Formats: sequence, C-alpha cells, structure tokens
Amino acid sequence: MSEPIRSHGFTNEVLGWKAWLPTIDLVSATHEQVAVLQESHPQAKTSDYYLTLAHHPDILRQRSQAFNAIMYAPGGLSRAERELASTVVSRINRCVYCASVHAQRFEQLAKRNDVIAEVFSDPASAGTTDREKAIVQFAIELTLEPASLNASHVFALRDQGLDDAEVLDLIHAISIFAWANRLMLNLGEPVFTAP
Amino acid sequence: MTSTAEPTAAPDLIDHLSGIQPGTHLHAVRHARDKVASATQGSHDLFFDPALENSLSLNERLWVAYYAARLTPHTTLAAHYLEQLSASAVNESVRIAVDSEALETLDDTRLRAILSFTRTLIESPVHGDRAALQRLQDEGLSTAEIVVLAQLIAFLSYQVRLAAGLGALLSAGAA
Repeated sequence: MSEPIRSHGFTNEVLGWKAWLPTIDLVSATHEQVAVLQESHPQAKTSDYYLTLAHHPDILRQRSQAFNAIMYAPGGLSRAERELASTVVSRINRCVYCASVHAQRFEQLAKRNDVIAEVFSDPASAGTTDREKAIVQFAIELTLEPASLNASHVFALRDQGLDDAEVLDLIHAISIFAWANRLMLNLGEPVFTAP
Repeated sequence: MTSTAEPTAAPDLIDHLSGIQPGTHLHAVRHARDKVASATQGSHDLFFDPALENSLSLNERLWVAYYAARLTPHTTLAAHYLEQLSASAVNESVRIAVDSEALETLDDTRLRAILSFTRTLIESPVHGDRAALQRLQDEGLSTAEIVVLAQLIAFLSYQVRLAAGLGALLSAGAA
C-alpha cells in the first residue's frame, strides 16, 4: 500500500474493533451460531463484531446475505465504486472503523487512493472525475437527506453514464452502510494499534 | 426459521409501498438483484415476527419502527408501521409522546429507554456510547435484546434509504 492517509481523524490503516457487550463464546455456541459465522465472513469467528451479532443468528444471517449480495455480486456498478460509496457514507456518519476497512478495499480494487484522501479531507467536494463526484454527491444526499431524494438526483447519475442497474447498486451500497455504520458505532469502538 | 425459509414467496413490502409493479422496468431492474430483495424482505419478516426469539415485544418493535420512520422522515413507512400498531390497540398516550417528541413523559421507562436509543441511532449514530447501552441494561434488556434492538434500528435506516432511492428511480421513469 502507498503512503498511509491520516486526515480529520480518519485513516486507511488497519484498525481493530472491540465490543462493548459480552460476545458469544465459541465453545458453548450453538451449531446454528457457528454456521452463520462461517457464512458471514472468513474471519467472523475471531471478530468481536460478528461474535456480538451472533447473539441473534437468524438476523445476522439475513444481514450477511444482504451485505454480501450488495458488495460482492458480479456485474452492475464496479466493486470499486461500491466501496467508494461505502467509504463516503462511513465518513459522513463518522464511522472511523468502517471508513478504514472500505478505504482499503477501494484501494485494493482501484489501485489508487487519491479519491479516498479527498473523501476524508472534504467529502462535499471529493471526486477525481465528474462520475466520481456524482457518485459521492448521491451518497451524501441519500445518507443525510433521504426525504429530499428525487428524480433530479437520478438524472445527475444518468448524465455521468450510470444505467438504472448501476444506480440501484449504488442505492444498495449506500443504504447497507446506513445499517453497518450504526452497528459499528453503537455496539463497540475502534482500536488503534501502535505503529 | 420455517416462517422465513422462503421470503420470496411472501409479498414484497418495498415493492408494494413504493408502487413498483411486476412487469415494469424498475421491477425487472430491482429483481435482477433478487438476493438483495429477498434478504431485505427476509430481514423485515424476521424483525416483525411475533415469535422472534430473545426479543423485545412486537409492540415495542413496532413503536421503534414507527418512531424511526417518523424521525427520518419517511411518510409511507411511518404510516405502514402505525397501521401495524393499530392492529392491536394503539396506546394513545404513547402516540402523543412520540408524535410530540416528548419521550420524557412516557410512564413506561423501558420503552422510554428503547425510544431514546432509537433517536440517537437514527439522528446521530456517532453519539452512541457505552452509557447508552448501560441505560438499556438498567431497564432490564438482555445482551441479545440489545443486539436485536440495534439491528432493528440499523435495518430501518437501510430500509428507508432503499425506499427513498427506489422512489427517486420510479419518479425518474425509464431511462
């Protein structure tokens, strides 16, 4: 990875996360809890976040199915642009942990982090191209003012070449981070490891 | 899980409330991502299943949903959840407290703590902290109940934005 970004309390460096509530104990976990952890994320069994959510495995299963389908399904909006939208939402909601994870994923996919530095510094003006700027603006609008979203916001995306399937993928990526950020911000906190 | 094993078989709430008709362009676009649509509906079915395990009462969950939709605001979803509340008897004093933003007047201190937590997560999620969880624990909520409550409010934040986004796509018409 290139030079780490540290800006306005946000970073693209690897952070930890620790739970405020007691996590489930894998030794006494039910078969279903273990199965849902395995479906959710490759490292779920060692993650405080998933070990907290596993207190209710049925809900975690639905959440993980939605999350994984939104972020990883082939076709439609590029995965890098989905990660960009997720990073913008996390910056707006001030989820430092989520922003760091999805900044890293963007960089892995796009092989650059220029727009991430812009998002951390000033989300309202971020975007290295007109298309990126339109995606960032839409993510901010739907995050902060969902009630004011209207056809003009969709036209702004179409003007930058997004088709309706891509707009839908963008709506999904923004909306699922309204969900993810609230869990990460309210059930625990980021852990900054010493450099 | 039997009640939610085939979520696609049930009517889709977002399609229904948004007016997205089968056979239309937007319906086809949305259901090309059917795993997302079915997990969205599956989540909704689970959160409002009267028999949800380790959970808040259905009445408490519906108050959370109504209040969250009202705060966002999303008129259609707020009306939907109020209608669901009306299926049993709506406690009018609770409704007045919620509609007038006067949670401190609620006699039910457990519901007051639940709805205060809802307001923080909907309006300013960064301001949640350990003390907020402690206030829920002080009202007798178990760890599993707190996880269900946080998941519910977070899901509602997702659902209103999905509905708002689809509403904008619908009013934009086919490209």
